[in-house]
Amino acid sequence: MRQDTTRQCIIPPHVLERLLESDDAAIRSAAMTTLLTTARLRGEREVRASLVRLAATGQGRRTVFDCRKSTSLPMCSLARSEDGPPSADLSVNQAFDGLGSTRQFYQDVLERNSIDDRGMRLDGYVHRGVKYNNAFWNGQVMVFGDGDGIIFTDFTASLDVIAHELTHGVTEHTAGLDYHNQSGALNESMSDVMGVLVKQWSLQQTADQADWLIGADIFTPGIGADALRSLKAPGQAYDNKLLGKDPQPAHMRDYVQLPDTDDGDNGGVHINSGIPSKAFYLTAVEIGGYAWEAAGRIWYESLRASTATTEFQAFADTTFSKAGELYGIDSAEQQAVQAGWDGVGITVTAEPTTMRGSAAPTGTDSVGDVLRHLAEMSASIDALRRDLQGQAVGGGRPAPPA
Amino acid sequence: MRVSLSTHGGLAAGLRLGRPPSTVDTSALTGAEAGELTRLVEAARTASAREGTAEGVGDTMSGDAMSYEVTVDTGIDRGGPVVLRQTDTSMTAEFAALLRWVQQHLPQAGA
Ligand SMILES: [Zn+2]
Repeated sequence: MRQDTTRQCIIPPHVLERLLESDDAAIRSAAMTTLLTTARLRGEREVRASLVRLAATGQGRRTVFDCRKSTSLPMCSLARSEDGPPSADLSVNQAFDGLGSTRQFYQDVLERNSIDDRGMRLDGYVHRGVKYNNAFWNGQVMVFGDGDGIIFTDFTASLDVIAHELTHGVTEHTAGLDYHNQSGALNESMSDVMGVLVKQWSLQQTADQADWLIGADIFTPGIGADALRSLKAPGQAYDNKLLGKDPQPAHMRDYVQLPDTDDGDNGGVHINSGIPSKAFYLTAVEIGGYAWEAAGRIWYESLRASTATTEFQAFADTTFSKAGELYGIDSAEQQAVQAGWDGVGITVTAEPTTMRGSAAPTGTDSVGDVLRHLAEMSASIDALRRDLQGQAVGGGRPAPPA
Repeated sequence: MRVSLSTHGGLAAGLRLGRPPSTVDTSALTGAEAGELTRLVEAARTASAREGTAEGVGDTMSGDAMSYEVTVDTGIDRGGPVVLRQTDTSMTAEFAALLRWVQQHLPQAGA
């Protein structure tokens, strides 16, 4: 029997918001119609709030919060917004500017609209914790510590660190590389690669002019370390009594087998990332010029074509096929990719080992999109059913007759 | 009583690899400090049980979050040492307070 679809539109606003971000224009349009109709029928505060949030998305608007040593993000206070004046606080402004440069890099160089390619807001939290030696991405926002003042200083001081954290968001919204073992090391490497590219782009440095370092400015001046990591020379970023020696390998023969536990860094995600990072460096230097142009484009498109479980070999194969697609089979760029992986002990195979290869670069994306949409629709139907049951039990508006 | 802290992961995970846990010298604590520590441990343990985050079950790491494991061995607790693990992305206020106390009482700062 026919039911009036308008009156049934009691899908929770958060589900609608997700549907509004769908890749499918028809789903977006249906969700928008639903949202507007529901808002008119009910005048609900939460629905109006969704519309306000929706209006604010699409531009990657930046907000920086000051945690004043708290570790609780809800306790942090607004310090600078997209249209607001600069802060008197250096860390606030460094985070704001770094997020802006990274956003601009993704837009101008890779044609990506913020973290989710739909203008997701960029929220940064600074002065987190006491003497906190870290920066991280929590799945939604980027968080930066002040450092202990002995080894590390302010983690907003290196643009590449800010870009590294933001790129964790990009990876989560694309391949979603599992944060364990080789896929985790690829996740880490991608953040380091984009981290150095954002810095090189902002300084307009060619591959041979750049230092290829991550976190050169977050160490205290007297600590005697070049940086946290070096893509040019993994394993050689630091070597001293206090810090020990940089444990990154630069070649598969030195791959570090670590347990997939906390103390094993989830199988060495920050350790073995040195291998694909070095492959990127070798490729970029071989191609020459600006690393973000060809090499960066190849790596980014390969990230988009990868999956949660992609490992080194499959990723290498994907970069090789992407280079062929973008610059031609046997082009200088494709040869450079092959040589880059050769340099770290990985021989690319012509046929990619993943399904997301050159045969159907967009086809599999479409399948993935459809699956995502189905999952979203299924969730919304479940929510609708729960809502209907809740209203029937709770004595609200009766459910439509069956 | 023995109190130790293991810190893992993070953007600078390479620096933390293979480092032994740091241990607080509890013999130098005053009675008041020891009482404070006991209170913080109990609060962190209660909060973990309440939030279902005891030993970080189901709490996976991502995007440079660090993990912390605080081990408290009173020597008289029949259940053995108390082990509490949490991460940057899901930390109770009570665990954060305990962690801060432990970090302040470590013999030297570490990465
Ligand atoms: Zn990272």
